[in-house]
Amino acid sequence: MTTAIKPRKMPPAPLEYLRRWPIQAWLIGVTIFLYGPLLTLMVFSFNDSRSTTIWKGFTLKYYQKALTNESLITAFGNSLTIALCSTILSVIVGAMAAIVLWRFRFGGKTLFDGALAVPIVVPEICMGVGMLVFFAKVLPWPQGLPWPLNLGAIIIAHVSFSFPFVAVVVRARLASFNRELEEAAKDLGASDFRALMDVVIPHIKPSLIAGALLAFTLSLDDFVITFFTAGPDTVTFPVKVYSMVRFSVTPEVNAASTILIVVTVLLTFLALKFQGSDALTAGHGTEKK
Amino acid sequence: MEQSWRQAKGLFLTLLSAPLFWLVVFFIAPLSIVWLYSFGQNDGLVDIAFTGTWSNYAHAFSPLYLNIFVKSFWIAGLTTFLCLVIGFPVALAITFASDKLKPWLLLLVMLPFMTNLLIRTYALIAVLRTKGLINMGLEMVHNSVNGMTGGALGVFEPLALLNNNFAVVFGLVFVNLPFMILPLYSALDRLDKSLLEASLDLGAGHIRTLFNVVIPMAGAGIASGILITFIPALGSYLTPDLLGGPDSQMIANVIESQFKRANNWPFGAALSFLLVYLTFIAIAVQGVLEARARKRVA
Amino acid sequence: MTFPKIPASRRSILQGLGAAAMGISFGGLAGCEPAKKKLNFYNWDTYIGPTTLGDFEKATGTPVNMSLFASNDELFAKLKAGNSGFDVIVPSNDFVERMSQANLLMPLDHAKIPNLKNVDPAFLNPPYDPGRKFSMPYTWLVLGIGYNTKTMKDGKIPDSWKYVFDSDTYAKKIAWLSEAGDLVRLAAKYLGHSVNALDDKVLADVEALLTKQVKAGNILRFHSDDGQDLLAGGDVDVVIEYNGDIAQKKAEMPELDFVVPVEGSQFNADTLAIPVGAPMPDEAHAFINYLLDAKAGAAISTEIKYPTPNLAAKALMPDSYKNNPIIFPPAEALAKCEYAAFAGAEMAQKMEELITRVRAAAGMPAEEEA
Repeated sequence: MTTAIKPRKMPPAPLEYLRRWPIQAWLIGVTIFLYGPLLTLMVFSFNDSRSTTIWKGFTLKYYQKALTNESLITAFGNSLTIALCSTILSVIVGAMAAIVLWRFRFGGKTLFDGALAVPIVVPEICMGVGMLVFFAKVLPWPQGLPWPLNLGAIIIAHVSFSFPFVAVVVRARLASFNRELEEAAKDLGASDFRALMDVVIPHIKPSLIAGALLAFTLSLDDFVITFFTAGPDTVTFPVKVYSMVRFSVTPEVNAASTILIVVTVLLTFLALKFQGSDALTAGHGTEKK
Repeated sequence: MEQSWRQAKGLFLTLLSAPLFWLVVFFIAPLSIVWLYSFGQNDGLVDIAFTGTWSNYAHAFSPLYLNIFVKSFWIAGLTTFLCLVIGFPVALAITFASDKLKPWLLLLVMLPFMTNLLIRTYALIAVLRTKGLINMGLEMVHNSVNGMTGGALGVFEPLALLNNNFAVVFGLVFVNLPFMILPLYSALDRLDKSLLEASLDLGAGHIRTLFNVVIPMAGAGIASGILITFIPALGSYLTPDLLGGPDSQMIANVIESQFKRANNWPFGAALSFLLVYLTFIAIAVQGVLEARARKRVA
Repeated sequence: MTFPKIPASRRSILQGLGAAAMGISFGGLAGCEPAKKKLNFYNWDTYIGPTTLGDFEKATGTPVNMSLFASNDELFAKLKAGNSGFDVIVPSNDFVERMSQANLLMPLDHAKIPNLKNVDPAFLNPPYDPGRKFSMPYTWLVLGIGYNTKTMKDGKIPDSWKYVFDSDTYAKKIAWLSEAGDLVRLAAKYLGHSVNALDDKVLADVEALLTKQVKAGNILRFHSDDGQDLLAGGDVDVVIEYNGDIAQKKAEMPELDFVVPVEGSQFNADTLAIPVGAPMPDEAHAFINYLLDAKAGAAISTEIKYPTPNLAAKALMPDSYKNNPIIFPPAEALAKCEYAAFAGAEMAQKMEELITRVRAAAGMPAEEEA
């Protein structure tokens, strides 16, 4: 990385907002807001009672139950697989859509642009019903396929509602791109395609990451559309949780959520450790020449 | 300026192919079925007859549903505004954090959202409810003050934090904040920092720099943040359902119940598509305004 | 096409998560053998004994795969578009009626369900499915008022619908069921009508009653069948709920109780049925028959604590279940209860819109009442 090492005791430089107390206080406030409820959830997953407000003593029994609950683990695996596949596809398709809209003038552009906004505005249930009828009548997804092909219909549906989100985020970043850079690359002999890959893509990397995170979250969280596209042999984590509600959510689910959070933190930690910490913010360094 | 597609046909077609294919086959096609339903009528319990009727739309324009629309816009708008106000300093702080810290801060924002929405909402209920953690904390303070003063404060009345519209907005901000922070960050991150330094060097304060330099330059990011916060907030049904009171029904709750309980797909479809038409109108208006602005410049 | 530059960044987070996905899924899949065709059972989560599915496989060699839905409406919406491979489903009584009218259910072959002899004769000819042509009883329920004995005013039992529909005794401490049909029918019951005698006049009276109560600000919320949690959390004092849900919660919180109001109430039943187009109808019959077995039924009742229509299973249960006045309310209380018939699509829409209006009115300032 090109960042200079900053001496600790210096007063904050003008742009080091992170070292100013109002911003620090704000960040702490937001962190409490976002994490307070989750931390209580995590703490009470160790509670020796089903109550989420009154502490009755420490126990690991819900973890034991969650980890031995085969259907919960299968649902978990399905959800993560779907989220992973749909994120990769959404990022690729979404980025392509954003670039084409940013770079080219073409007939029907406004229409394409508008159509791209529809998946964002359509209520989930409406899209869910559309997908239900589509996969039931127009393109029946074969039943009984081996894993993970049986998840295909759900993955397709998830990409449909996630990739426009990626496109919105990527376009916001492209708006600032200095096109002369791309021209310069072409002047130096790069093809259109090479110039795109070597100049534009690095610039939009942070937005690709941001878009990927969005797509991943959207997919992991989706219940309605998943429910309507799922075949008889696929249960995802949200579908399981929603179905539990009739008999009140069990502490096992809180335990499972805690495990999910911890696993996510650990994996990200490892990934950052091995790949260098610029992974999340890649592209930032290349701009500083 | 944009390039005409004819100047780089190969690249254009490659880039357009996948998004266009996906949009048409896996999105427009399923959705047009529902769109056709919005002009149809229930025919028995299972079938929907396409009759070309406008009655579903006429029904949607009755004052009952219009009022719910208006209310939903209010709640979603307030949510978006709060997310912007809360999220902007966070995005700013992430942008100017050291490269080492940056990924961790981004992770900090995103991590809560790896947890299922329903579970997060239940977590929020445990904090806000009548005998939730906030009220229990307040009661403890209250009682200890009472203990010291001999009951000067009287009987503790728990705050009504749940089952009202306040709780709905609180919950929606809680749920939608990263939708705002991420695009803001990705737009702010590419700001030319020397411009900010210049503004500060020339004597503008941080606040003035913020309003005169940062916000205009990050306009696109702010707009996209607003868009992708407002729209999911408008379409949320779970949060009002679980956190709201008797009057907290948003348009998505009504749409949901039409598709499910009432088994009235045509009417549910009509209500859904009103949202879509509104978006198209908004985009068209924006297009016209932009074109006018361009003419003025030229 | 490939994006040579992206992977470096994508790998970092997503591959990490992907590794988890693969790891977990393979772990979860290790138990499956693709060789045997599975019976697809569509049910609520946790609405079965913990070992029931495994026991059935041991007994018959047919593995069962259970997938989940969260409400009857979803079940109906999903099957409406065509059966994508479900063998056995668990619809409630009015949906049995609705689905059989819509030709979505397969007639049952009683010869393949000998365990029908275990079922209480009172459940053999219910109004929603005369002669048990399409459905077998699984559990039954009755709606009533769940309450917290510690917070009742003057120690009185809230044994009338008045306390939830027409009184401010528990102002802001009342929760209603959000299911439009049930709410309208129960209010009609309070007004002295049968739950199946709804006409425009009754609907108008019901609407006036409900509107008045929400406008007065007496209702805390409309709950989606999680009333027992609201009660247990102290958010409300009285709640419209099913007896089984309160019975489950009372096991943890003895101060909760349940009453069937004097005006009478509404029964509900969850049933086992086979949707049209089920790939394995023979195994489906065998599975339904197994669930009606005395021992298997007792194992299910032990887990879910809902009233069972299976007399042979009930006989095997401990007294704490058999003589539980919440699970099996006294006969005189049940005498005035009825099953709600499916009154047609139009009525369902009318009731839905009625509740939408009531809820919209809740946000308006109270005029006359103020």
